[in-house]
Amino acid sequence: MKSVPTPSPGALARIRALSERQLSPEEVRAALAVTLGEREEEESRALIRWFRRRYPTPAERFAYARRAYRRWLAAAPPGERS
Amino acid sequence: MQGSEFDEAEFFRAIAASGARALLIDRRALVALGIPVLTADYDFWLHIHDIAAFNAAVEAQGLLPSRTPEEARGRGRYVLENDERVDVLVARTVPTVDGVRVAFDDVWARRRALELAPGVTLAVPTLDDLILTKRFGGRPKDLEDIRLLEALRKEGP
Repeated sequence: MKSVPTPSPGALARIRALSERQLSPEEVRAALAVTLGEREEEESRALIRWFRRRYPTPAERFAYARRAYRRWLAAAPPGERS
Repeated sequence: MQGSEFDEAEFFRAIAASGARALLIDRRALVALGIPVLTADYDFWLHIHDIAAFNAAVEAQGLLPSRTPEEARGRGRYVLENDERVDVLVARTVPTVDGVRVAFDDVWARRRALELAPGVTLAVPTLDDLILTKRFGGRPKDLEDIRLLEALRKEGP
């Protein structure tokens, strides 16, 4: 597997700011009016099918989420570990 | 937040046993329904009269509230935390960013129960209501979650 460099704290901060900025009502309406592309939708559905097949119960899904979060924390730059 | 010693099943068992009307919302609810997203905390929408019961239920897990029930009702939100973080929304109605008013009582009446362990259930909004709650925030990440919820809807129960 190809190793990917960890983004810098500055880059992560910019991504976080973009992802968490408050959108206006017009921006929300416009975004929700756009239909998901066929390929993007199939990718999302495939991911969901995999997750539900591998972790059929809510308890197993929660356990997965906790493991994934711990992995993310361990790999995140210090400034992101909050 | 490390979250290593937290007994999640006991946490939900205590909430269910308390009788508090508490809906799991946001990303942990997406995970419960079958969407693999990264999340650090637990988010609940709680009936405004059930704050004390909810707090008492999770006290055994060492979770301490940031505000008194009276203050929480006034502000509409509070947090319970130790190594874990539980964000609690307490409001009779919440508007979406595009102006739809969503009432707790309506969402609660339509809720789904998910079995976490034998005898332990947790309450989540219906898919449509969960999508509405994602519109409370109106952030790009909420819109991404809405896309995933729409994809989940097409996959069926």
